[in-house]
Amino acid sequence: MYIRDARFSVVDVETTGLNLLRDEIISIAIIPMKGTKILAGDSFHTYIKPSSFDIKSMRIHGISPQALSDAPTFESIAEKIKDMLGDSIIVGHVVEIDLDFLKKSFKNAGIKFDNNAIDIAILEKWLGERLGDRRTDLSLDSLIKVYNLSSRFRHSAIADAFLTAQIFQIQLLKLLKYGMTSVERILSALESARMSRIDFIF
Amino acid sequence: MAIPPKEFIRKIKPFSFLNEEHLDFITRNLDVEVYEKGKTIVKKGKQTKYIFLVFSGVVGLYDDDTLIDTVSRGEVFGILSAITGNPFSLSAISMDDSICYLIKKEAFKKVFDENPKFAAFFSTFINRRFRSFTNLLKETEGTYQEEIYLTRVKDIVTKEPVVCLPDTDVVEAAKTMIKNRVGSIVVVDEKLRPLGILTDHDLRKILVIKGGRDAKVKDFMVSPVVYVDEDKPVFEAYMTLLNKGINHLVVVGQQKVTGVITSKDILTLFEPTSSLISLYRNVRKANTIDELKSHLSGIRKAVAGLSIKGVHFYELSRMITSVYDSSVVRTIKIVESDFDLPNYVWIHMGSSGRKEQVIATDQDNCVIHSGEKEVMLEFAQKVNNALEKIGIPKCEANYMASNPKWNLTLDEWKENFRKWFSSLTGENIRYLSVFLDLRPIHGDHELYVELIDFIKENVSNQAIRFLAHDATSIDPPLGLFGLKGADKGIDIKKYGIYPIANSVRVLALENKIIETTNTKERIEKLKEMNVLSEERASDILESYEFLQELRLKNQSMSVSAGLKGDNIIHLENIDRIDAYVLKESFKIISSFQKFIRGKYRVDAGF
Repeated sequence: MYIRDARFSVVDVETTGLNLLRDEIISIAIIPMKGTKILAGDSFHTYIKPSSFDIKSMRIHGISPQALSDAPTFESIAEKIKDMLGDSIIVGHVVEIDLDFLKKSFKNAGIKFDNNAIDIAILEKWLGERLGDRRTDLSLDSLIKVYNLSSRFRHSAIADAFLTAQIFQIQLLKLLKYGMTSVERILSALESARMSRIDFIF
Repeated sequence: MAIPPKEFIRKIKPFSFLNEEHLDFITRNLDVEVYEKGKTIVKKGKQTKYIFLVFSGVVGLYDDDTLIDTVSRGEVFGILSAITGNPFSLSAISMDDSICYLIKKEAFKKVFDENPKFAAFFSTFINRRFRSFTNLLKETEGTYQEEIYLTRVKDIVTKEPVVCLPDTDVVEAAKTMIKNRVGSIVVVDEKLRPLGILTDHDLRKILVIKGGRDAKVKDFMVSPVVYVDEDKPVFEAYMTLLNKGINHLVVVGQQKVTGVITSKDILTLFEPTSSLISLYRNVRKANTIDELKSHLSGIRKAVAGLSIKGVHFYELSRMITSVYDSSVVRTIKIVESDFDLPNYVWIHMGSSGRKEQVIATDQDNCVIHSGEKEVMLEFAQKVNNALEKIGIPKCEANYMASNPKWNLTLDEWKENFRKWFSSLTGENIRYLSVFLDLRPIHGDHELYVELIDFIKENVSNQAIRFLAHDATSIDPPLGLFGLKGADKGIDIKKYGIYPIANSVRVLALENKIIETTNTKERIEKLKEMNVLSEERASDILESYEFLQELRLKNQSMSVSAGLKGDNIIHLENIDRIDAYVLKESFKIISSFQKFIRGKYRVDAGF
């Protein structure tokens, strides 16, 4: 599929921790993209009430326990989120973590989730190798700086997702200029890049 | 939750006028698109769903193949089309890889209709009503408030503190207050630390109490005393006064009493013109050069303060001119008393001749006399020195009455003009542009009137054409990507103010309005005479005022920071909107220059 016709969903998931077995999603932000256009007005964000986690014992900066206990559970909105994502390509920074948690949560809700995904950090590395612009620091903060985006409003899921979308948008333009115009080619190129990543620095 | 696009939009005028609700609404109706260099964003004659706000890169607006304008970060295009519903009148083409925020037209229109200030911003800008435009910004930003935050308490303490010890007799304290003409006395310990305060009001109460007159200060003083540190902003002091419901506030520095301020002192700070008016009064009463010097020393600061407070250039330059003029007249009169002088008139040229001097202004003067050269030169020398002493620096190019070249009899002046009008060398053109803005300051005006009549009769068409050529020889720094040379700073006197003043002078000369020297007044007369169309006249007036104000603000900031002001504007230091209007002003100048070139067939050769 031609990049400009593809649908992407930039996703940022916040969790109680990084242990896939124990931890849970507590917030999700989704910003849809149609080709290179970020549909910021259609952004979606919600807090999610963890099912087995004791909210009172959690310490997550910026999220009040009240907001979490008032929030819907993932299961109750899983259908809606799946509809929103459709068969779009999931885009994120170090998206593997987001994907793992989403897969687990969708599975618990009895919904199949096997969308393709693009990690902007791996894409950045891949582009760097081809365009001679290698970066060693692929953290979101560093990419925000490199792409001249303001990082003053970071650390909310929706802000991070929007900044991720802006980085991805510029990367897409680079890909188009480089002659990589098909989504399939990008996905397979990134798959082999992902396999060979050793020097990854978060 | 803060979303980056909302935060970006919020900082950009006029979106900054919007409330949260409208900002959220705009953000909910926003897309972000990236355009490759060379990509056509909208074609002339087409409609789009959006208003475009440039986030990065540069977009060129083209009329077919002609580049009309460029827009960059923080600038908007497509508004006219959104408001009127007409298709795009220009094509928008990305001149670099550019990212735009696309705001849906209906959403923009809704906010436009619901927020009059937001709408007024665009309407004024579309109609190039810069003056009302700047007013709008001033109103919103409250320059008034800036002053209250920036000024520190110690800056408004004018008098030494009047203090006494707690054991002082009440009557003694009252006498001290009368002697020092103050409304309060601060009661202190030996180390000057404040213990209490006694005010007029307290004294009145003491008078009616039996035995009150024999009391000690400590029996009646208000204690503990409310005080403020001298380094605090005046704003805090004002809040304290209001909150405590008191009228006198003790000021301390390193725990020692340094003065007392009253609410009146603070309110005076916000009375924009009061400082200049008192300066003017003092100057007129001065009897010696030293007195003049001490009065005038405050003028730069006063002007800087007024400018920052938002007093407009035309008003401000009128006030400054009166203060400077009366200082010069006082100086001349003081020097005159040592001389026996022939009939003469003291004349100002340049910006002072045009009544447009602001902060960094120097002496530009000459003399027409009817007598002996020696005595006039000696006198002029003394005046120039005295003026320098009171704080008006000498002219570096030596356009001064003490220069024998510019201290002449009426016949010699006539001969000069005859020569300048007939031999149009570069040097003579320069002389003409200086000496065609003459304003008599002191002495026999008849000499001046006769010279002006002579100039009117002898000005040649050829001279006017040469002056027109000179006035249009410097192009405004408009480049392909907005303003040229922006990184090094832009000299707005050279590129903005001079081209306007010089072009207007050419028109004034041709239409024999030489006695009117002020550029604004000249433009208005030219408009009445239908030399300038209503539209062009108001465009030029708006631009001229904007440029002068920008220059003044720039100099004022420097003066406030203790630096010497200059005319170089660095775009990164000025407001985004100022940069925007600056660009528009240069376009107006460019068009005015084209008009002058065409009218006087400048390009036809000489």
